[in-house]
Amino acid sequence: MKELKLLLAFKNKAKLNAGYLLSLAISIVLGLLVGAAIMAMGGHNPIAGYKAMLSGALSSKTAVGNTIAKTATLCLTGLATAIASQAGTFNVGGEGQLYFGAMASALLGAKLMGVSPIIGVPLCLLAAIAAGAFWAYIPAVLKVKMNVNEVITTIMLNSVAIYFCAFLSNGPLKTGERGIASGTAKINTDLAFPKVIRLSNLTTSIFLSAAIALFVWYLMKRTTTGYELKLTGQNPRFAKYAGLNGGRLMILGMLLSGAICGLVGMFEVFGLHKRFTDSVSNEFYYDGMLVAMIMRYEPTGIILMSFFFGILKIGGTGMEMIGIPDEIILIVQSVIIFFMAAEQGIAENLIARRLRKRAAAKSIGKEASER
Amino acid sequence: MENKPIVEFSHTSLQFPDVLANDDVSLAIYPGEVFALVGENGAGKSTLMNILYGMKQPTSGEVFVKGKKVVKQSPAGAIAMGIGMVHQHFKLVPSFTVAQNIAMCCEPKTKLGLYDFKSAEQTVRKMSQEFGLEIDPSAKVNTLSVGLQQRVEILKTLHRGADVLILDEPTAVLTPQETDELFAVIRGIVREKGMTVIIITHKLNEVMAISDRVGVMRRGKLVGVTETEKVNERILASMMVGREMLFDELDRHETSGETAIEVENLQVLSDRMLPAVNGVSLTVRGGEILGIAAVEGNGQSELIEAIAGRRPSRGGSIRIKGKDTAGMGPGQVRSLGLSHIPEDRNATGVSGVATVEENLIIGKHRQREFAAAGIHQKKSAIRTYAEKLFERFDIRGAGVTTQAKSLSGGNMQKVVVAREFSLGADVLLIAQPTRGVDIGAIEFIHKSILEKRNAGCAILLVSADLDELFRLSDRMVTMFEGKITGHFEAGEIEKSEIGYYMTGGVEEGEDA
Repeated sequence: MKELKLLLAFKNKAKLNAGYLLSLAISIVLGLLVGAAIMAMGGHNPIAGYKAMLSGALSSKTAVGNTIAKTATLCLTGLATAIASQAGTFNVGGEGQLYFGAMASALLGAKLMGVSPIIGVPLCLLAAIAAGAFWAYIPAVLKVKMNVNEVITTIMLNSVAIYFCAFLSNGPLKTGERGIASGTAKINTDLAFPKVIRLSNLTTSIFLSAAIALFVWYLMKRTTTGYELKLTGQNPRFAKYAGLNGGRLMILGMLLSGAICGLVGMFEVFGLHKRFTDSVSNEFYYDGMLVAMIMRYEPTGIILMSFFFGILKIGGTGMEMIGIPDEIILIVQSVIIFFMAAEQGIAENLIARRLRKRAAAKSIGKEASER
Repeated sequence: MENKPIVEFSHTSLQFPDVLANDDVSLAIYPGEVFALVGENGAGKSTLMNILYGMKQPTSGEVFVKGKKVVKQSPAGAIAMGIGMVHQHFKLVPSFTVAQNIAMCCEPKTKLGLYDFKSAEQTVRKMSQEFGLEIDPSAKVNTLSVGLQQRVEILKTLHRGADVLILDEPTAVLTPQETDELFAVIRGIVREKGMTVIIITHKLNEVMAISDRVGVMRRGKLVGVTETEKVNERILASMMVGREMLFDELDRHETSGETAIEVENLQVLSDRMLPAVNGVSLTVRGGEILGIAAVEGNGQSELIEAIAGRRPSRGGSIRIKGKDTAGMGPGQVRSLGLSHIPEDRNATGVSGVATVEENLIIGKHRQREFAAAGIHQKKSAIRTYAEKLFERFDIRGAGVTTQAKSLSGGNMQKVVVAREFSLGADVLLIAQPTRGVDIGAIEFIHKSILEKRNAGCAILLVSADLDELFRLSDRMVTMFEGKITGHFEAGEIEKSEIGYYMTGGVEEGEDA
């Protein structure tokens, strides 16, 4: 399971500092080098390959639009992971929350025929928030009240949500329209987010995404609530002693996380598909979770790193155009993650070795002086 | 006991990065005796035994076992030399049977090379009869009581041929009945098998009950070795904690206030769900310090945690300034005007990864002064406030924006004191305020506590340091096994006498 592998890789919780950023830079360079080596082995010119990647992601208006849309999705899902983890809970269930948000908003959107966007869009936003938050509330309450590990429950609830939604969209709630293999009824298109750049995936939901990202950043970094969430996550014992209600804060973190995921689902439906389909997400949440973990749940870092991963993901199509398989991108990505996961171990090893050397030198000096 | 020592330490020292855990210890232990090693927490008793068991290497000095000098000992080497150790936390496989645990590492094999369970069980059955340690060899360890698990540990060391048995705080996890049974077992194996037993403890009544000789450790040094029958608990207690007064007289005004803390017949369970506080009643008025003198693990920590709302009480009542706190959490209790310095600053008193200023502002962080509308943090106001406290409480470190864990223990404690003393509370629960703190900081913290007292705060103080208690308290109570055993006004009792009540002696006549 992808999510379990990720968990094993990133069980540590180090801080984002200069040393860490250096490791990150080295990992990215190594990742790109490994990608280059593989391209060269396949008889491709690596420089041309990476050029194609960049132009695939940034050279045309459509490409830029797609990259920005991808960045927004990564960024929101990443921030959703971060806000739950700030309170010390690990939300692995964003994918399911995303599906629920998408399904709830799609169903409501299809019901609101003839309703003006000024009323309809906020209603659908609320539906997505409620559905996503609800699906995060279950594991949160189980954790706080009965001490059930949220990693296990959120992973399980992912499957429940994904298959339940698939059942609905292929079964009882399947649209009656001809030529549609699966999916719910089409939403009121007046409520849909129009494209900002034609032919790209960039819709007006980007403005909402930006607002959400800003809000989450502000909440995490500048408010008393963010401060309380952080202290709870860092040391629950201390937080409790100091009088914070750790349980309530953990639930709040999860609710916010689930709400954001629900909104991501809605943006997919109201921006692109106009109905719920099984393909509403392609493991979008895990990509964001990865970005968040690599950036140590630091909101500013997540926003920046999302852009880099957005370029990688969209740039793959550019490489395809000159005949380089876009799986190279997956390799680059994996190598970066591999090194970042090993980062702590490698760094600790280097530090320990230096300390041992210093201690040895000291004891030799001491012995000499004693004689 | 004219024969040669079976274990001998000769000028053994062990230097840890910041403390000298063992300081020039010379000690001989003879075959066939029960030797008790006593001392406060951190006095170096366990460290000394870990050296003997090969878990730690001395930085200087020598260790001899059965006349042979031990070099670069490992636990495996120690076991081979006949030394067995039962740790405070058992090292058993819970899902294995008793026999499987005992036979581990030297499993009997059948002719086919498979594990011979029957033979293992037989061996264990034979041993348990031989040593008088009754146990069912086929029972799974996770179904056994703690006392029986300890028995498995002892059998395990015997099975490996140990003739020197080290028991690290063996009674800490036991009920009184189990303790009696353990002592019977120890007497049996010493008398019948000529074993040597070294028992680490800080319960003086147990020392008197079980040991032939006793060694007292204090701050890494062995301060005395004597035959147990020549001393009593009072003498041992004063040897354990005795140290000179180093400080000036503190400024003390006469004050009297209303009753602020009222505890009545309180019952509290420990983490192991055993009764830790067993019917404690006490009151503290404004303007006085009530000190609780108790040896670690006698319910004083649980008492403080229950009053602070951090631990549920199972019976009795707690009233803070007249309000019953039943069902309240720490936040609600604090809102009644209570501050709390916890005994464990690293795990509870601060968040090590948070910055110093984040640690200083908590409790006040939602006040208007530091948060617009209670939401938007005013970073500069927080910074100014934290810097003010940093200076006033003489915290030494790189500044308020560094992580709290980068501070030394004493300065970390000053962060806790600074925060808790600046919340405007007038009921203070203070536990181990100066543990591991250097002398200068101790003096400062003592003065701060006295200032609070003189300003009319009601203070409940728990400390393992008798000097501190005698210096600060207006009144004192002693606690032993969850009960109050004595009640004294300042000046009414000597330091050397109080140990008697801390170790189970009961005041004659009136009750506390």
